[in-house]
Amino acid sequence: MALRPDELRRIAEGLGREPTTVELHAFDAQWSEHCSYKSSRHLLKQLPAKGPNVVLGPGEDAGILHLGEHNGERYGVVIAHESHNHPSQVVPFEGAATGVGGIVRDVLCMGAEVIALADCLRFGRVEDPNSHQRYVAQQVVDGIAAYGNAIGVPNIAGDVYFDEGFNDNCLVNVIALGLVKEDEIIHSRAPKNSAGWDIVLVGKATDASGFGGASFSSLTLEEENQEANKSAVQVPDPFLKNVIMRATYRVFEHLREKKITAGFKDLGAGGIMGCTAELCASGGYGAIIDLDDVNVAVENLPPEVIAVGETQERLCWILPGDVTLDVLRIYNEEFSLPEIARGARAVVIGAVQSDKRYVMRHGSEIVMDVPIDFLTGAISNEREVKTCHPEPRARARESKGARAAPTARDEGLREVMSRLDTCSREPLYKEYDAVVRGTTVIPRGHADAGVIAPVPGALFGIALSVAGNVAEAVRKVVAVGARPLGLTDCLNFGNPNNEEHYAQLAHAVSELAAEAKHFGLPFVSGNVSLYNESSSGTAIPSSPIIGCVGVIGDLRKVVTMGFKQPESGLYFIGPSGIGALLQAIGDELVLSASAVGPDGLLAAAAKMAFAANNDFGVKFTDAQPADEELAGWLIEAGDSSAFELLAGKKLRREGWRRVGVTTVADIEGRVDISADGSSWDLDDLHAAWSKPLAEIYA
Amino acid sequence: MSAKVAVLVFPGTNSETETVRICRDVGLDAESVHWSNAGHLPNYAAYVLPGGFAYEDRIRAGAISAHDPMMDYVIEAAEEGKLVLGICNGAQILLEAGLVPGTAAVRKPTAAFTRNAPSGKFICKHVHIKLAMDPARCPITAALPNNALIPAWAAHGEGRLAAAPERLDEIAAEYLAFVYAHGDGTVDDAAIPNGSALGCAGLTNKKGNVLAIMPHPERDAWNFNHPDLTARDREGTNILAPSGGAALFRAFAKALQ
Repeated sequence: MALRPDELRRIAEGLGREPTTVELHAFDAQWSEHCSYKSSRHLLKQLPAKGPNVVLGPGEDAGILHLGEHNGERYGVVIAHESHNHPSQVVPFEGAATGVGGIVRDVLCMGAEVIALADCLRFGRVEDPNSHQRYVAQQVVDGIAAYGNAIGVPNIAGDVYFDEGFNDNCLVNVIALGLVKEDEIIHSRAPKNSAGWDIVLVGKATDASGFGGASFSSLTLEEENQEANKSAVQVPDPFLKNVIMRATYRVFEHLREKKITAGFKDLGAGGIMGCTAELCASGGYGAIIDLDDVNVAVENLPPEVIAVGETQERLCWILPGDVTLDVLRIYNEEFSLPEIARGARAVVIGAVQSDKRYVMRHGSEIVMDVPIDFLTGAISNEREVKTCHPEPRARARESKGARAAPTARDEGLREVMSRLDTCSREPLYKEYDAVVRGTTVIPRGHADAGVIAPVPGALFGIALSVAGNVAEAVRKVVAVGARPLGLTDCLNFGNPNNEEHYAQLAHAVSELAAEAKHFGLPFVSGNVSLYNESSSGTAIPSSPIIGCVGVIGDLRKVVTMGFKQPESGLYFIGPSGIGALLQAIGDELVLSASAVGPDGLLAAAAKMAFAANNDFGVKFTDAQPADEELAGWLIEAGDSSAFELLAGKKLRREGWRRVGVTTVADIEGRVDISADGSSWDLDDLHAAWSKPLAEIYA
Repeated sequence: MSAKVAVLVFPGTNSETETVRICRDVGLDAESVHWSNAGHLPNYAAYVLPGGFAYEDRIRAGAISAHDPMMDYVIEAAEEGKLVLGICNGAQILLEAGLVPGTAAVRKPTAAFTRNAPSGKFICKHVHIKLAMDPARCPITAALPNNALIPAWAAHGEGRLAAAPERLDEIAAEYLAFVYAHGDGTVDDAAIPNGSALGCAGLTNKKGNVLAIMPHPERDAWNFNHPDLTARDREGTNILAPSGGAALFRAFAKALQ
């Protein structure tokens, strides 16, 4: 249990008596960091959450951004971001798979169709084939693949980095996107005038798996408790989820036909208790739950396990009685849940109550009876923020992926390309289905951001990127020609009770807030994962992970990263060039583009050449950017003079420059990158770039 | 009026939406038919079994689905000579149901799509498939040119054709419909993503009315799926128009006219 003695006292004081066993477990889950964000909530307030594109900001299971209009309908893109770090370290396959399962439900319960996934991974050093961290790195990828592939949602973006700081705590962050018509959004709360409505539980039969999950993820991992921790991890069932998703789409249709406003929320941390309490509390209601009515997988489960266990693949509806039967029929008969998985079904487990109490019955006993707002209300741990050193500013930006790395100037380009943090990710992502649904425009490997065409018949597309900081995530989305719409964050940090770690978190949040404001972008959803440290007290490197969603108004103009032709002018555009670059892409002056990161210009050029199967090389005439220029874009212009005219008008002189030209194979068939008198054979570079992860993900 | 096509949804199917969509975009009157509505299946002129992980791929991909009551109707329809197209998991189901190559009794498979080699893992990779038979051998491919080359995505964990050596000889001689190829049409081992025997990407049956193909042409079936092609290469400037893998569905539609 993760409750502290002072919290226990507060519970007893608030109730005026000692809590029952069920209540104790309920508060333990509900007041955990995972559910309450008690160490981070006040910090997160700094993040900008408003803007003209925001349809729904943070507060529910996912945020929603306005995407575009088609046939008179307004479409929103739903975005949710979650970590499943602790479970993935303990049982990597199941932990990572349930991470995908959870994030998909967060999007689904907004009334949306789930349309894309992304994953952001941080692993320890994997060079030793016998190391646990290598096993984790392999199993996590297999778990994400097994789940995402089976439910039929394309994985279109992601990143992965390796650092010994993650040896004891891997990071598995997942992002899911959904599509919803803006007037059909379903909220995670009991609707107005819903007193007496049914509370309907849908999905897998409740079992003892995932008991204590919320508080488990709010503790550090202790080696000796590994076995006990394993039982706190849930068991994924993507097959059942596939059917539940499709059945739920059918329920959405039915509710639209009946013009019913329902409440809908997924079961995550805190299980039935956490979900139903939050649904009802946020509608201003209480609830009564009959634990005997819950479909269970095994007899004689203790009431606290039924109440707060985190069995996967469950969702909860708040429905008026006359619709309940239709919904039960859709899940149980039309989509035959009980035949899909043993004990799975939709079942009425309780009712919304107008008094604001949260009551649970089990057998003939009342096992829980507490004021609902006391259970779900905020508890906040505001701490004094200690000055973080060294250089908090650099540190917040510094999560892996934006770390100042040696560029080709310091070591050979071949060495740069074969570094674990630079080399090809294909051996990993080729396990993920990138194209199911038939909507994929740009899968991974072809551009810095993934792109899908979500609405049949509509010309607009969605771009999604991930990175360790806001600026890089934004640059990646812009590189495909998308206008950034909004952001999501997952803050992966160490134990917040440690002053230094807490200070790192605090500074990271203020940095993120400043960066987001700089770009005028809102954070519409996010997640906090603290306590990422081992029993020896070693915390992970500070790791904010950012997702950026952008919109492409006209899919004809989308730009990939592969070079398109020889003799094209190549240009470097500095970080302030977003507007100019988007206009150049809109004017069809850009044939290919890629964000330039800490690996430098030459590495960016090599990846652009790889994406075009090494058909074209590069002759750099000016490959020596000042260090502060390492962030920006490398672009291939079709018509150099037209591009220069536009750049000259839109950008300051130091904001862009011509750096080289694309080439073709020489007479011996050799295609290379040349700069400053050195040259590198692209086939050779490609081999070096392809090898490191291919060995690990063979 | 165009022919009515049923796109079957088994528990675990995941590609029904795009399969229905491409069928409609090439002029077919297609709709998905859910397992709880199996009784409606006789009303359709043709059947498409789409991709997914029906019944969780338990035992072997397609093995359980082959015994789903929906397959009773499909088997009957195939015997009547109606057209049946299986893609990916749908192809696996057709093999497990014994409809292709169909050299033994129904539900007595003589070949199977098994775990990819050498990785043993799911692989998602853009491929091309090349028609390896006379187009007229199979009504569904009759409208395709000789050696037609169709872009598609391999996205499967079990796509390696396996059969007894004498069965493979039989398949090579009579039932091999598509092989994996490079984008320029050349065929070699490097073009095979999964170790499939004979480089097999697709099989048909004796009558030619049943076609099972492993990769997904419907996932590279509209201009927006291949943005790197220029407007000229991608069949006009309408980014939403069917192209690429749509060729197979156009031929399917033509066969149903």
